[in-house]
Amino acid sequence: MAYRWGMVVDLDRCTGCEACVTACHAENNLPTVGADEAARGRAMHWIRVERYWEGEFPDVRVKFRPVLCQQCGNAPCEAVCPTYASHQNEDGLNAQVYNRCIGTRYCGNACMYNVRFFNFFHPQWEKPLQLQLNPDVSLRESGVMEKCTFCVQRIKAAKSAAKAEDRAIADGSLQPACAQACPAGALVFGDLNDPESRVARLSASPRGSKLLEDLGAEPKITYLHRQGWHESNA
Amino acid sequence: MTPMDRRRFLKVTAITGTSAALARCGNPEHQIIRFVPEEELTPGIAVWKPSVCPLCNAGCGVLARVMDGDAEVFRNGEAGVTRMGLPRKLEGDPAHGVSQGRLCVRGQAALQVTYHPDRLASPRRRVGERGSGAFEDITWDAALTELIGRLDTLVEAGNAGQIAFIGRPRRGRRAELVAEFLRRIGAPAPVAFEFFDDAVIRRANELSFGRYQLPTIDLARTHYLIGFGADFLGTWNSPVAHGAAYGRMRQGQPGTVTKFVQVEPRMSQTGASANEWVAVPPGTEGVVALGLAHVIMRDGLRPASAAGRAGAMVEGFAQGLAAFAPADVERYTGITPARIERLAREFAANGPAVAVIGGPALAHTNGLAQALAVNALNALVGSVDVPGGVLFTPTEVAPVGPPRSLREVVGGAAAPQLLLLDEANPVYASPPGWHVADLLQRVPFIVSFGAFVDETSVLADLLLPDHSFLESWTESSPESGSADAANATAPPAMHPLYDTRSMPDVLLDVARRLQRPLDPPLPWQTFDEMVQAPTTVPAMPAAPSRAPDTPRAWADARFDGEAGTYPFHFLPYASQALLDGSLAHLPWLQELPDPLTTAMWSAWVEINPGTAERLGIAEGDMVEITSAHGSVRAPAVISPGIGPTAVAMPAGQGHDTFTRYASGRGANPVHVLAPLDEPETGALAWSATRVRIARVGAADGSLILFAGATRERPDHHGRG
Repeated sequence: MAYRWGMVVDLDRCTGCEACVTACHAENNLPTVGADEAARGRAMHWIRVERYWEGEFPDVRVKFRPVLCQQCGNAPCEAVCPTYASHQNEDGLNAQVYNRCIGTRYCGNACMYNVRFFNFFHPQWEKPLQLQLNPDVSLRESGVMEKCTFCVQRIKAAKSAAKAEDRAIADGSLQPACAQACPAGALVFGDLNDPESRVARLSASPRGSKLLEDLGAEPKITYLHRQGWHESNA
Repeated sequence: MTPMDRRRFLKVTAITGTSAALARCGNPEHQIIRFVPEEELTPGIAVWKPSVCPLCNAGCGVLARVMDGDAEVFRNGEAGVTRMGLPRKLEGDPAHGVSQGRLCVRGQAALQVTYHPDRLASPRRRVGERGSGAFEDITWDAALTELIGRLDTLVEAGNAGQIAFIGRPRRGRRAELVAEFLRRIGAPAPVAFEFFDDAVIRRANELSFGRYQLPTIDLARTHYLIGFGADFLGTWNSPVAHGAAYGRMRQGQPGTVTKFVQVEPRMSQTGASANEWVAVPPGTEGVVALGLAHVIMRDGLRPASAAGRAGAMVEGFAQGLAAFAPADVERYTGITPARIERLAREFAANGPAVAVIGGPALAHTNGLAQALAVNALNALVGSVDVPGGVLFTPTEVAPVGPPRSLREVVGGAAAPQLLLLDEANPVYASPPGWHVADLLQRVPFIVSFGAFVDETSVLADLLLPDHSFLESWTESSPESGSADAANATAPPAMHPLYDTRSMPDVLLDVARRLQRPLDPPLPWQTFDEMVQAPTTVPAMPAAPSRAPDTPRAWADARFDGEAGTYPFHFLPYASQALLDGSLAHLPWLQELPDPLTTAMWSAWVEINPGTAERLGIAEGDMVEITSAHGSVRAPAVISPGIGPTAVAMPAGQGHDTFTRYASGRGANPVHVLAPLDEPETGALAWSATRVRIARVGAADGSLILFAGATRERPDHHGRG
C-alpha cells in the first residue's frame, strides 16, 4: 500500500524553542550563509518558527507557529516548474529534483508558505566543518532551489529496511529530524493513509486546521490550535 | 570498441585517478600522508555511540551518529589524512532520563564544537605581549615540563595556596578530580564561574527544603503552573527535560486543560507560551508570590502551618503575611487586587499546582527573598516532593557546591601565582567593576585547558587544549530534570582529530610527575579508570539536612543608578541560541533566528513601542545604553513584550576574541552592569542596573532579521 506522509503540529505543545531548526540544518546539510548574505534575506531555514504578537503591553500574547513545506496535494510550486524539478512523488511528497532545477525560482514565487530557498552561491563549509555533513543527503549547488523533504533520506532508508523484511513501516519508527529533536513532542509525523497512525488520528482533531486552507493547495500538515483555559474546564 | 558500461567506467577512472595522484607525489607541496585507519567501519553504514552534551549543566545523554569519512588529523607530530568514524549528527538518547530522546537547539549544534575551524589543534605557548594573541606551537613534553616545574616551585616554597583554578560550575567526575587534585596539592577549592549562575536558587532550596540543588518541576502531572521569570523552556535549568514534560502537561493529561501563568517584567521565550502573562516591575516577582500566599491563608484555603519549614524561612508567614495584602501587592506591582485574588483562588483550587522561579527574577539584591517566597508558596499548597510539584533528582552532593566564588580570588589583595583555567570566560562575562582582566594581568602564569582562544584564555601563557567531548570519556550526574537519578557515562565517540589531550588525564599525569607526590596520591591512573570506579563524593542524604535557620525578611530590590539620570531598568537575558556567549562561536547558532525577534548574527536592544516613539527610535536605529559603569551600542528592536520603563538585551554577542564567527560582532550587555550582588550568596545581581538610552544613529545594517514568513497572516484565514 502506498504511503502518504503527513504531519501534525500541536501548537499547544510548541514552545518556540527552535530545536527543530538546528536539527534540520544538521540532518539536511543546509548551508550557513553568513551575516552578509543573511542580511540580504538569503538565510536558509527549511523549517522556521513564526511568532505573532497580539495585544499591547502589558496585555500581550505570542503565538508560535513552526512553518515548513506543507507538502501540498495540489501544490502551486509544481504547476509552474518548466522542468518538472518540482513534482509530486509516489508518497505524496513535493519532491525537488536538484539536477533538473534550472533556477527559474517560479516555484519559490508561487509558494504562499515561503518555504523554498534558492542557492545564490555554492555552499561552503570552512574546513573541517565539512566533516559534519550527512553523507546521506546531497549538497545543492548554486542556482538550485531547495526545500524541506520530510527527510526523504530517512524515508527511503526505512522503506528499504521494511521491504527487506517484508513488512510495513511501523508507526512512530520513522521521524524527520525536526520531529525527533522536538523536546515537547509538538511535531508528529506519519502515514496519513494508515487510519490508526498517530498523525492520522491527530489530524482529525477538532483543534485542527490547515495553513491558508482556503487557497486550495491541500496541505498535508495539520495545525492543532492552542487549548484555552477557563475556570470552568479546569 | 568496448562499450563504456558501469564496470569499465569505474576501472578507467580508478586508473586515471591513481596516476593523477602519483603524479602529484613528485611535488612535495602536494604530499599528503595517509595514515592507516584506526578502526574498521563499513562505508555508508551508521553506528550510534553514546555521549553527554557538555554545553550546559543539564547533562543530557546524547547519541552520535557515526559514519566513516576522511579527516585531516595530527598523528605523532605529523599532519595527514585518515579514514575514521566521524559523528555526523547528535540526537537525544532515548534511554537517558533527562533528554529522553530529545535534544535542544544548542545540543543539536554541539557537533560544531568538534569540527570548528578555529579549534586549538595542539599545545601553544605565548610569545607576544600578554593578550596579543601571539602564540607558538610547543610539544606536550615541553609544555608539561614547564607547568610541572612551576607547580613544584610553588609547592616547595609552601605557596601551594596561591594556585587557583577557575572552571565552570559542572558536576560529575571531572569536577571531582579537579577538587581532589587541588585539595591534595594544598591549593584552595576550585572557583566555579558562569554568568547565569544558580547559587541563589540552590541556597533558597537549601534553606526551604534542605536541598542545595536546582529543582525539577514535574510539569507532566501539573494542572496549574505559575512561573516567576523562569525560562525553563528555553535557557534555564534543564530545558529539554522540562520541555518534554511541558508537552505532556499540555496534551498528555486526557480530560485536563492546564493553565500556565508567567509573571515577569519582559516576556521571555517561556513566558510567550503562557495562557496569562502578568507584567511586573523587576524585583517584585516575590511580592506576587507572597500576595498569593496571603490570600490563600486569609481565605482559609490552606493553613500557614502547611508550609512547614519553607514557610518558617519567610518572616511574617505564620502571621499570614499581613504586609502583603492585595492592596500592598498592587502598590508594588500595579496588579489589581481582583487579579491577585483570582490567581490565588485558581492556584489553590486547581492542584496539582506548582510555582517556579529562576533566572532574571533571582538576579536581584533580593533574589534570595524572592526565591524563598516562591518556595513557601509551593509548600503552602503541598507541592513539594509530590507528583505535579517540585521534585529533587536523587544525586551526589555537588562536588563544586557551594563553590568558591570568583570574587574571593578577584577580591583578594594578592593575585594568585598560578592560575588554571578550564573553559570559564570571566573576562568576557564579569561586570567592569570586578576588574577581572586587571587581576589576570597580575597573575604571573596562566594555563588554559579550553579548546578555543577567548577573552580570558588569550591572556594565558600556556594553552593545553582539551579533547572535544566527542573525543573524551563523558559523564554526567544531572542535578535536575528527572525524578530518578539519571547518571550517564560514555566512552569517546571518535578518535581525537588533533594533538590534544584530555584535561583530566593531563591533571593525573601532572599529579604523578610532581616532585613532592600528592598526599595521599590520587587513586586513579587514567580518567577512564576513574569514571568506571565508584565516586568518592557522598550521596545526598535521603532525609535532607534541616539545620535550624532564621527567617529572612522581605527586602525591596536595590538598583544601581539614580532613577532621574538612569530612568530605565536594564534587563539582560540568556540568548536562546548563544546562552551566556559561550556558544557564540558556533555558526549554526549564530544563524538561528531568535524566537521572539528573528534576529541572526546580531545583538540588539528591546524597547517598548511607546518608549521608542517618544525617543524617536525606529527599528534598527543604533541606540546607546549607558549606566554609571559603562555603555554599549546596539540596534533597536521594537518589542511589545517589554514595558515602557525597561530595556532588554540578549547576552552572547560582543566578543573581542572568540573565533572568526563571534569576534567583533554585536555588543556585550555585561559591559554596563553594576557590581551589585545578592548579599548572602554573593551572586551577581545582573538585573539590578539602571540605564539611560539615546538614539545615536540610523540603522547601520547590523540588525539582521530572518526574511522568511508566510505571505499572508495565517489566522486571517479562518482559525489560527
